[in-house]
Amino acid sequence: MPRSPSSSAGPGGKDLMAILTAPFRRNEAVLLLCLVSVIVFFSLASSSFLTVLNIANVFGQASLAMIAGIGIGVVVLAGEIDISIGSIAGAVGVPLVVIMNKGGSLELAMAGALVLALMVGLVNGYLSAYLGINSLIVTLGSMFVVRGFLYLYTGQRAIPDERGLESFYQIDNGRLWGTVPYPALLAFALLIGFMYVMRHRPFGRHIYAVGGNSDVARLAGFSVKGIKFICFVISALLAGIAGILLSSRLGSAVHVAGLGFEFQVVAAAVLGGVSLAGGIGSLFGVALGVLILSFLSNGFGMLNLATEWQLVVTGLIIIAAVAFDERRRS
Amino acid sequence: MSAELAPKVVPAGPALAMTGINKRFPGVMALENVDLTLERGKVHALMGENGAGKSTLIKILAGAYRKDSGSVRIGGAEADIQAPRDALRLGVKVVFQEIALISEFTVAENIFLEKYPTNRLGAIDWPAIHASAAALFARIGFDVDVTAKVGDLPLSQQQMVEIARALAHQARVVVMDEPTSSLTPGEVELLFTVIRRLTDLGIAVLYVTHKLAEVFEIADTVTVLRDGRRISTRSVSEHTEDSLIQDMIGRRIETLFPRARNNAGGVSILSVEGLSTDKLKDINFEVRAGEVLGFFGLMGAGRTELAKAIVGFEPIRAGYIVVDGRPLSPHDTRTGVALGIGLLTEDRKTEGLMLELPVSKNASLAALGEFASLGFVHESRERGAVQEFVDRFKIKTPSLDQEIQYLSGGNQQKVLLTRWLMRGLKVIVVDEPTRGIDVGAKSEIYAALDRLAGDGLAVVMMTSEMPELLGLSDRIAVMADGRITAMINRDDATQEAILNAAIA
Repeated sequence: MPRSPSSSAGPGGKDLMAILTAPFRRNEAVLLLCLVSVIVFFSLASSSFLTVLNIANVFGQASLAMIAGIGIGVVVLAGEIDISIGSIAGAVGVPLVVIMNKGGSLELAMAGALVLALMVGLVNGYLSAYLGINSLIVTLGSMFVVRGFLYLYTGQRAIPDERGLESFYQIDNGRLWGTVPYPALLAFALLIGFMYVMRHRPFGRHIYAVGGNSDVARLAGFSVKGIKFICFVISALLAGIAGILLSSRLGSAVHVAGLGFEFQVVAAAVLGGVSLAGGIGSLFGVALGVLILSFLSNGFGMLNLATEWQLVVTGLIIIAAVAFDERRRS
Repeated sequence: MSAELAPKVVPAGPALAMTGINKRFPGVMALENVDLTLERGKVHALMGENGAGKSTLIKILAGAYRKDSGSVRIGGAEADIQAPRDALRLGVKVVFQEIALISEFTVAENIFLEKYPTNRLGAIDWPAIHASAAALFARIGFDVDVTAKVGDLPLSQQQMVEIARALAHQARVVVMDEPTSSLTPGEVELLFTVIRRLTDLGIAVLYVTHKLAEVFEIADTVTVLRDGRRISTRSVSEHTEDSLIQDMIGRRIETLFPRARNNAGGVSILSVEGLSTDKLKDINFEVRAGEVLGFFGLMGAGRTELAKAIVGFEPIRAGYIVVDGRPLSPHDTRTGVALGIGLLTEDRKTEGLMLELPVSKNASLAALGEFASLGFVHESRERGAVQEFVDRFKIKTPSLDQEIQYLSGGNQQKVLLTRWLMRGLKVIVVDEPTRGIDVGAKSEIYAALDRLAGDGLAVVMMTSEMPELLGLSDRIAVMADGRITAMINRDDATQEAILNAAIA
């Protein structure tokens, strides 16, 4: 049987394409490009968008999702999920405000808030990691339980901060040099710290390994359960920190605080290229996902786009981003 | 750094001595008083059919199972292997068929997964990891980019990463479980080169396989297990293929390729004209009733794509497929089945079997319509029909209700054959019909295929195993790069002619 001459495209052209597209195979580069596009678009569309004050505000608003997003990123990279973070963020306001109202110091109040977050994290971690119950179910359950107790304790009303400590107000509302919001600084510091751990400490690599292939991780002698357990604790504590900032922002413990927060954060993580199957993605990606969604929300507000439409557009963007990501990977 | 890469200095004597190993599973004695001794710098083959105890033995070595009794000595010292990390710590590395690597990590990171080199501050020392990994590959004479993501590498190279991991842990014993089952001939050669490097370094290699030819090429000694007992340990030079097979199955196979059919050359049942798909280019052939047409090609030649295209699982760009005078219209998956073509896929586990369903349901799936009236399946008729085939093919199963995942590979394959035969087939396409199936069951599969051809079916067989190709086919089509490069009659077929056409 005769063979016809090969008709494949010239290999030279293929190489050039490979070189040109190489940066875009890194997920973070694509996200960064998206973020810049969003900023450029709104700068052109609205004159009040690209001001130091507005940009600083967006970073301040994004910081809660960024801090909780680090925790979600860690849990999801380990191959699990935690959707109790919204309830945790809401619930920590109660010990925080109540302790201060009863005369306790801000430090004691924050410690109380973090102890509550820690307890939820320990339970989530124990049930998911050690008893092996699906973490979506476990944290769905704890989301309801924590929210339920929050409603019971507050009687479905906000508990206002009666002490009015300046230091409490400053946590979320203070600004470095009158410009950079404190929560943005905290989020940035936590992000850098956790990125370093995830990339350069054996513990971070173990999280990736556990999420990437838990059988291999077990064979390599890692404590798969222990690592997952710690990830749930980290996630709960970071949600607790986000909750403290939220209380400061609201000046009270609000029973509905943090409702829906978990999905906002998970959406940002997914947009940021973190695979819900575990082991794939980066915290930098999560941070970019958070920033993209925050700038979109801010920009839409400036253009007076109704919040209903903001939801629709945000949802479409998330689906499109993930679909694009799937195609790019395959 | 180089001192770290060298195998630990060990006293003279065997690298590994397992004596009197017993292991019982509920209802079965998996290993009974098994001895195995590995000499440093030698390749020791471990052979046996599925269920003979090979896997149990190496899993005990790997720390995945605990032995009930017996002793394991590594380098002369008693070794207590309780968990996978013990094995590696004591210098035993088992490379399983299912590669145990994190596919998202780089080659270098995978090698140092167990113990990341760190600096004084406890941060991972990435430059050291990359340099050490590169040095390890240089030692085994294998060139790979250590910063590449493992998931992007072909399986053959992932295997090399596993071997490099053995060196990183200064393993004195490397166990390889069926390492060539998905390698191309070229990759097998490379693997053998690396194995010889390992033995030059004084490492003892335990090579688990059921491919006879490989044993004669690479091994110094061979131990045969059967039904959990050690049957023989002999130097390879004392063995012939026949004596090895006899040890493995405990009886003589008169002929591996029984031939009861006489192909008088029936009418043409399947004809393919000018078939092209994304991968295939201008494929032409026909198969007559009672004929076995064997397709050979190296990995990537397009055999599996052709198998799927014939049945209609792959979109057709151009050309015709005619079954018994009726054309197969493109893009309709049901048509191939409806016209009487069955496909036995290469990947039984993911594309063929429903592992948790019983034998009966797996067998009757494609023919359910035949046992149904008014949309309800008559279970008694279904079971009766399945039982007939179970008897005819001697399918070994405790009952029709046994979940199919517990059957041996050979018996699973026979159930899948049954699935298609129950529909009344004209053409059966089999893709790598004996992959992962042991010698005894292989000959039964061959007999079954021979019988199908004898019953007047057209059989199309895709295979990468030369003996099976030469033993079973009436004609041989050789593929390369999506084309048929040669069509050779049984009597004219030589390994050389076939390989030349496959490389063309």
